[in-house]
Amino acid sequence: MSKVRLSLRPSTQGYVLLAPALIVYLLFAVYPMIDVIRMSFSSWNGLSPQAKFVGVANYRAILTQDPVFWGALWNTLIWTTAAVIVPNLIAFGVALALNQNIPGRSSLRIIFYLPVIIASIAVATIWKWMYDPFFGLFNGLLTSWGLSGWIMDWLGDKKIALWSVFVAHLWQSVGFSMVLFLAGLQSVSTTLIEAARIDGAGRWGVFRYVTLPALVPTITVVIVLSLINSLKAFDIVYGMTGGGPAQSTQMLAMWAYTQSMQLGVFGRGAAVSVVLLLITLVVVIPYMRWMFKREDAVR
Amino acid sequence: MATVEISNLKKSYGAVPVMHGVDVPILDGEFVILVGPSGCGKSTLLRMIAGLESITSGEIVIDGRRVNDLEPKDRDIAMVFQNYALYPQMTVAQNMGFALELAGRSKADIKAEVDKAADILSLTPLLDRKPAQLSGGQRQRVAMGRAIVRHPKVFLFDEPLSNLDAKLRVKMRAEIKALHQRLKSTIVYVTHDQIEAMTMADKIVVMNAGRVEQIGSPLELYDRPDNLFVATFMGSPAMNILPAKANRMGITVAGLLELPGLANVMVGTEISYGIRPEDIVIGGEGAVPVEVLVIEPTGAETHITARLAGEEITIVSKERLSAKPGETLMVSLASPRSHVFETATGRRI
Repeated sequence: MSKVRLSLRPSTQGYVLLAPALIVYLLFAVYPMIDVIRMSFSSWNGLSPQAKFVGVANYRAILTQDPVFWGALWNTLIWTTAAVIVPNLIAFGVALALNQNIPGRSSLRIIFYLPVIIASIAVATIWKWMYDPFFGLFNGLLTSWGLSGWIMDWLGDKKIALWSVFVAHLWQSVGFSMVLFLAGLQSVSTTLIEAARIDGAGRWGVFRYVTLPALVPTITVVIVLSLINSLKAFDIVYGMTGGGPAQSTQMLAMWAYTQSMQLGVFGRGAAVSVVLLLITLVVVIPYMRWMFKREDAVR
Repeated sequence: MATVEISNLKKSYGAVPVMHGVDVPILDGEFVILVGPSGCGKSTLLRMIAGLESITSGEIVIDGRRVNDLEPKDRDIAMVFQNYALYPQMTVAQNMGFALELAGRSKADIKAEVDKAADILSLTPLLDRKPAQLSGGQRQRVAMGRAIVRHPKVFLFDEPLSNLDAKLRVKMRAEIKALHQRLKSTIVYVTHDQIEAMTMADKIVVMNAGRVEQIGSPLELYDRPDNLFVATFMGSPAMNILPAKANRMGITVAGLLELPGLANVMVGTEISYGIRPEDIVIGGEGAVPVEVLVIEPTGAETHITARLAGEEITIVSKERLSAKPGETLMVSLASPRSHVFETATGRRI
């Protein structure tokens, strides 16, 4: 009996190996993305067999008649600005500290990274309890320290609710950026640091002229990732406030979800999603192009 | 330019001593090369001079000033690293002027110094390029330029040519030597390549296992090695070492060659008889038979690996030999330039 030999060209072999991942990606990422764009030009309640084409009516509606959309957009922009700056600055500081030869360094790294591995919805539950105005940790601590004047309804007061949620997000996200910064810091050439020390650079000089330039690729990745993640902020807000009180913590991604899944206006929900996608592309693509161009100039 | 005085220098990592009391005097304007096998402590010694490694005990004095506790930037030294260590985001000119900029020198001043160094090193057309756009040899020259602009008291070179290909290495060797002759600066240079050491140095310090084995001029070390380590380390191909024994008449080498007397050696003492490959003469008086194993013609000379009484020896001949592996060749091992060491201590007799 002769053996059947399957001989494929290397390029065909590559496509065969790629196929399973590609199929999943096309089916669950590319197709829904295109379908959302199609749906944003239709009217559909999620139940009727046919969606009706309505042109740009959904966009007109969310931009001109929907007061929540603008609030959600504003909140998303504030959230994104804060989430790109604050956690990453803290993560950078922590990474710099934990890159030094200090006792307990490994344990501290694990402690700072732990919140990252907790599901956002669990983080939301933990923090929701800590923020509880009657039984929560924070108000309990403030009372026992005699600071009852500082007691607040952390998630119920629309002036501070967004920032209360943001603190929980901060706690969860610092570890991730910290790990990326640590990896970047460990790739900084020690010879280059020594060369700078001999050239007359002090601690600040070494940081400014050696460490920081070497970290540019890492900083790019961290900023892009936090931009994307914070623009689509959903789960932690959903878990803690559900967008309330009085839509004061409403976000674009959550508003798209609420419109579609709770109010049954899929067309408008899709339109909100498309706007969010456009914002993301407009912010992220030029930034990445600019940074990679800078990096190429160095290489 | 300055003298460097290294006295009884010791270094330990925790309880593990890696340098055991090193003394090296370096004169003003001298080109000193620290050479030795990997792990001998030569780079550690250089880094201690630079201030990049702490000193456990002993003293380093540069130009009359004890520098043990000074930061690298305060020692008035410049260092050229093996992997060049150029700042990737800076141009060649910025790299070269960086130390002067940190020192607060004026822009015009920096430009003048950089232009002068660039001219010496033929870097002028490259001043606006980034290190990534340069070849290995050009990067090495920039690293040297960065050192030159500072007019330091001492230049330190840490295996600067190891990353270059063989041809470029020979060229850069000549350039560094020419640079030294031009600047007349004090240079401490580390290498594991003894050819580099022989060709460039005014003075070579041979190190082994954290100790100085011998200090001397290249030819002193080559012609009169103090011990077996230096004898076998300096020279390529390495010196042949044959077992010998002292007898009443002289010594017997490899059990078959009788050579005349040695004073002050007890009969029966185990001796190591050293003879450089080029000092073995083919044919000649008192020749002994050796079996040819490998013939390597290099063009200018022929390297022959042969077996003599169970010992492998290397012969370098200026002749173009027609001998083939397996054939017998008659060679004379008695040379006025041979060396005799006491096997037990490795010391020259």
